[in-house]
Amino acid sequence: MTPEQLREDLLGWFGPAATAEIGHGQLTVDVEPDAWLDALTHARDALDCAFFDWLTAVDELDAGIRIVAHVYSPSRRHGLLLRTMLPAADPALPSAVGVYLGANWHERETHEMFGVRFDGHPNLIPLLLPDSFDGNPLRKDFVLASRVAKQWPGEVDPGQSVGDLRPKRRRNLPPGVPDPATWGPDASSASGP
Amino acid sequence: MTRSSEPTMSAESIDEVTEPTGDGSGLGEQNAASRTTTEGTIHDITSEWGEILEDASGDDKVVINFGPSHPSSHGVLRLALEMDGETITQARPVVGYLHTGIEKNCEYRTWTQGTTFVTRMDYLAPLHNATAYCMAVEKLLGIEIPRRAQLIRVLLLEIDRIGSHLTTLGAGAMEMGALTGMTISMREREEVLHLEEHLTGLRMNHAFIRPGGVAQDLPEDYDGVVKKFIAVLDKRLPQFDQLLTGQPIWRNRLAGVGYLPVDACLALGVTGPILRSAGLAWDLRVVEPYLGYDEFEFEVPTSNAADSFARYLLRVEEMHQSLRIIRQCLAKLEPGPVMVEDPKIAWPAQLSIGPDGMGNSLEHVRKIMGQSMESLIHHFKLVTEGFVVPAGQAYVPVESPRGELGYHLVSDGGTRPMRVHVREPSFVNLQSLPAMSEGALIADAIAALGSIDPVMGGCDR
Repeated sequence: MTPEQLREDLLGWFGPAATAEIGHGQLTVDVEPDAWLDALTHARDALDCAFFDWLTAVDELDAGIRIVAHVYSPSRRHGLLLRTMLPAADPALPSAVGVYLGANWHERETHEMFGVRFDGHPNLIPLLLPDSFDGNPLRKDFVLASRVAKQWPGEVDPGQSVGDLRPKRRRNLPPGVPDPATWGPDASSASGP
Repeated sequence: MTRSSEPTMSAESIDEVTEPTGDGSGLGEQNAASRTTTEGTIHDITSEWGEILEDASGDDKVVINFGPSHPSSHGVLRLALEMDGETITQARPVVGYLHTGIEKNCEYRTWTQGTTFVTRMDYLAPLHNATAYCMAVEKLLGIEIPRRAQLIRVLLLEIDRIGSHLTTLGAGAMEMGALTGMTISMREREEVLHLEEHLTGLRMNHAFIRPGGVAQDLPEDYDGVVKKFIAVLDKRLPQFDQLLTGQPIWRNRLAGVGYLPVDACLALGVTGPILRSAGLAWDLRVVEPYLGYDEFEFEVPTSNAADSFARYLLRVEEMHQSLRIIRQCLAKLEPGPVMVEDPKIAWPAQLSIGPDGMGNSLEHVRKIMGQSMESLIHHFKLVTEGFVVPAGQAYVPVESPRGELGYHLVSDGGTRPMRVHVREPSFVNLQSLPAMSEGALIADAIAALGSIDPVMGGCDR
């Protein structure tokens, strides 16, 4: 099926609860979290998408945590990107391991990296991170401090103070990194602890 | 204690230990039964060993920790194996020892700097990583790279594939005890690394493939050097057939081991030689051609055996097919630009190779330093801040030596990625190890692991 036909099929099946768009030749379907497992099951059974490709998340800051999964049908040569949006405060989703066995490690990784809870997962323990690790590193509020706070290229001349190296204008910061005025070495003492 | 009292104490303790308790042989009866023959005393140790074995081999299962640093664990991988006697009842791969947070780091760097990171993940296929990443960036940018850049990428990818498969065979052979297989693989891989160094400037971690094309053109003598490489490998690849393919030990260790049928592959997301060994001719170079792979003539070898031996044969055959593609690539290469001409993306220097072997066009430096303040500012901004990528998301997969390697990039319209997710074949394929090895021996689990060929730097990222 072409992405267009697939889109019609899916929209007909989901009704108004889903939206679908085609970008860069790739069909992307957004569903509500309640419909997540139904959507995956439908893709597997009705659309022949037997191949589970991957699952991950994107922290979209205020909008929430977006879960993305890609499934594909080797027999009919079509695939779709299924997405759903979860609240950043307490993201939870039913586990897809019952639908696709291969989702196991992907969900464990997403759990530790984004703090998303996958209810019904058989073994939701850290995969890549050590047991003692605290935090969800791929969340935007987990700031990679050394990359932001440290001056580059560092102190060029002996005797030069770090203050002299501060850029004159505001640096272009990665998404999710707080304003240097409220966070980091330049934070004013009033807002600090 | 006085000095003189010491010998007395020692003598007493020695007496206690050596005091005869049985037939005067010095060995206690409680340790082992013995009988005296004309040849001397024979100690019967089997009865006792039998008791120990009986105690140990009851219903109790033993958990064996294997790795993370073991010569046969194919990288920094740990396996927790639950054994019932010699049989594995449960196998659990424990990963994460090489996790370096590359996906997070990419969010803090410009789009171009990302190539430096991604080449360090799957260190056996760095050029595949860079290509998939750059193709995803190019998709978001909506640009088409010049034809020569495409062909250079194909040339490098196939050289990379050969190097990766050689390392796989070498590591796998070493794990099976076939050390000569390892030494000849590594010798051939050295040829690959020498060639890559000649073409890109570096043996590994090239960062040669950049969003928009490649960093610089191939050296002038590339044609002859690559042809020499092809001639060397044409001569040496058959050595694998002579040394390993027909060898009974190699065949018996691998054949019928690590069985994974096609439906299990699909449910787990397993791709690459494992999926092709199960009979599905799934190669993204053919089913979803990229970089003009549809212009090339090559075959996708498959097998129906779905075992480790089939995967070994496929890898050897894929190297021959890669050489075929490289030959066609040389015939197709024509002079032309190797980077998009968009001044908002390509670094402004039209680099020429200086005597130091690096691109450092004096002409360009003279122009921006002396004549055009504007180009200097532009150059500076492009290098330090990077280019802007329109908001959106894109997923681009390529066929790496280990299977589908894909990049899911999300941009918020800035000069840095919002999210870089890597669909790593090693990570996904490793999930199939329990299915391949449960019910088998530890020795079979090693063979299965070698045929999965996980690269832990890629798996853990």
